Amino acid sequence: MSDAAVAMRRSRWSHGLAQNVGFALALVLLVSSIVVYCAIYFIAQRRLPGGFEVTTTVNNTMPLVFAGVGQAIVVITRGIDLSIGGVIDLTNAIAALYLGDSLPSMVVCSLCVLLVGAACGLFNGLLIAYGRVQPILVTLATLAIFQGLAIRVLPSPGGQVPPEFTAMFANMNAPVSLIYILLLIGFWFCFRRTSLGVGLYAIGNDEQAAQAHAVNVIRTRIAAYVLGGVFAAIAGLFMAASATAGDATTGNGYTLRSIVAVVLGGVNLFGGRGSPIGAVVGAFVSAMIVNILFFAQIDPLYQSFFEGLFLVVAVLATGGIGRFMRARA
Amino acid sequence: MTPVAAVDQTPDGDARQSPVARFRVTQDQRRVLYAIAAAIVLFAVGGLIRPGFASMESVEAVLTVACFVGIVAAGQTFVILIGGIDLSVPWTLNAGAILMMASAASSNGRMPLALALTLGMGAVVGLCNGVGIAIFGVPAVVMTLAMNGMLEGLTLGLSGGLTCPTCAAYAPSLLQAVAHGTIVGIPAILWLWIAIILIASFVLSFTTFGRGAYAIGNNARASLLAGVHVTRTTIVLYALSGAFSSLAGIMLLGFGGQASLGIGDPYLFQSIAAAVIGGVYIAGGRGHYIGAAAGAVSLVALVSVLMALNMPEYGRSITYGVIILLLLLLYGRESSEG
Repeated sequence: MSDAAVAMRRSRWSHGLAQNVGFALALVLLVSSIVVYCAIYFIAQRRLPGGFEVTTTVNNTMPLVFAGVGQAIVVITRGIDLSIGGVIDLTNAIAALYLGDSLPSMVVCSLCVLLVGAACGLFNGLLIAYGRVQPILVTLATLAIFQGLAIRVLPSPGGQVPPEFTAMFANMNAPVSLIYILLLIGFWFCFRRTSLGVGLYAIGNDEQAAQAHAVNVIRTRIAAYVLGGVFAAIAGLFMAASATAGDATTGNGYTLRSIVAVVLGGVNLFGGRGSPIGAVVGAFVSAMIVNILFFAQIDPLYQSFFEGLFLVVAVLATGGIGRFMRARA
Repeated sequence: MTPVAAVDQTPDGDARQSPVARFRVTQDQRRVLYAIAAAIVLFAVGGLIRPGFASMESVEAVLTVACFVGIVAAGQTFVILIGGIDLSVPWTLNAGAILMMASAASSNGRMPLALALTLGMGAVVGLCNGVGIAIFGVPAVVMTLAMNGMLEGLTLGLSGGLTCPTCAAYAPSLLQAVAHGTIVGIPAILWLWIAIILIASFVLSFTTFGRGAYAIGNNARASLLAGVHVTRTTIVLYALSGAFSSLAGIMLLGFGGQASLGIGDPYLFQSIAAAVIGGVYIAGGRGHYIGAAAGAVSLVALVSVLMALNMPEYGRSITYGVIILLLLLLYGRESSEG
């Protein structure tokens, strides 16, 4: 290979790295947090984490993975969805109350739950796109509405999830849920090449330029919130599966945690950069941090202190390294 | 071009013929008036639903509760004006209440020191937010979100989950007396709030510092080039927001007698909602604190009306969301070209 070709390939590599520096750093974060976790686990338990640890970690992280993906799709369009916690509450409550024991009932009910999520997202999207109200305000108000509806559906924790449903979405014996992550990645790689997928990034980068290039801004924006609602509904289903019951308030924390996953995953909060796959990585990073803190025998009361500290440090590091890479590239 | 004598160009650019141009108010002022009108309408509706709702005592009770939201909303308004947001409100407030309670340890003698310590803690928290945002360029949402988590962890950890030796203390009797006391027939904390409204409005509207804050919210880069101390103003405003949150914590402690975990949680969304109902533009650069104060009163009056209707919790939550949405659609809209 000639020197020029090598140089060109190298510059393309470093260019690609500079463009995806957020995602690359998220991967580095994930790998290093797994290494640290294994080391601490080994010191505490004198063996490496086995299948049980992997399975529980995956099962416990699935709701955050999907909440993060939903949030990321909205954030890419330069929006934000604070109502994700409310949608999870509502869908989780509906799933716990109406999931039947037979397969058709489970399928129909799950589809209905996804429809409810889509309807919630559509409501947000219509208000934001046609009502021209800031996303942060609309979703703040709809959060209250969805939470209220969730409590109306399931006033006190309860309901019941059939064991088959749990076996399918939160299997205790093997990390079966990883299949859904592969499906998710496959979906995204197809979706981001569709005109809708390109449109999401276009309106996040520059709305007027996108409009000038025949992107239907209103429809794309509504679609982003609908997708956000659907993914939040999936998160609600996974939560119902792993808890085997419903609770109309457990989803509340997911609004902020999904934003943390998005940020750790290298998605730019000002839109246009990053991918939902990054949010998947970010969700696992935040799960690993909780695991590390647990096995490092840090008082659980201090847990959110370290999570917050880690978030700031990660964002500072990402910003600093990103600037450095872009300056070099 | 033909000269049009009666056309009066407002700062918002909506030119309109008006025979009473002299009494015209700008769009921003109109939003403040809407918020005040909303509060009055809510009191009237409440009075119709339940006789006595609009009575002096009841209005006073609503205003007292609104005072806590309003004081947090003061800090929130400051940072929203420069295009930021403060999500660290809940645990700054909670940490303030617990720090005040634990450091004063039920003693009036230790109160001045505890007050200084608590307000200082709030200011330092806000200072850290401001430094992270203005100097290190961390997005405001991330910085204040992380700060909220860090404060939650520190508060829980240092107080051992509110089991520390002085955590069972009561608010000093003097603080309780002040929180429940009245001056010339009006609750003392309302006087404090009125003072804050006057000072904040004066600072924002008539000082270089305040005008600088509006300039940053409209265009940070242009205001930097025009000689506004962008970094300094940003840090000071976040520090003020932290201090206001801890002040609200101190007052809640005085009002309730004891602090508990989670007392700050409702104040995040309420403070943002109050500012927005009061016409503070969420992307920054426009709005008045008096509007946010009126927004706080409307919000608390709304909740009180819903409670007077004996509405269950879920109904209150839904109605609350729907009414905020309606208000936003009424006047929170952006212009179609923006």
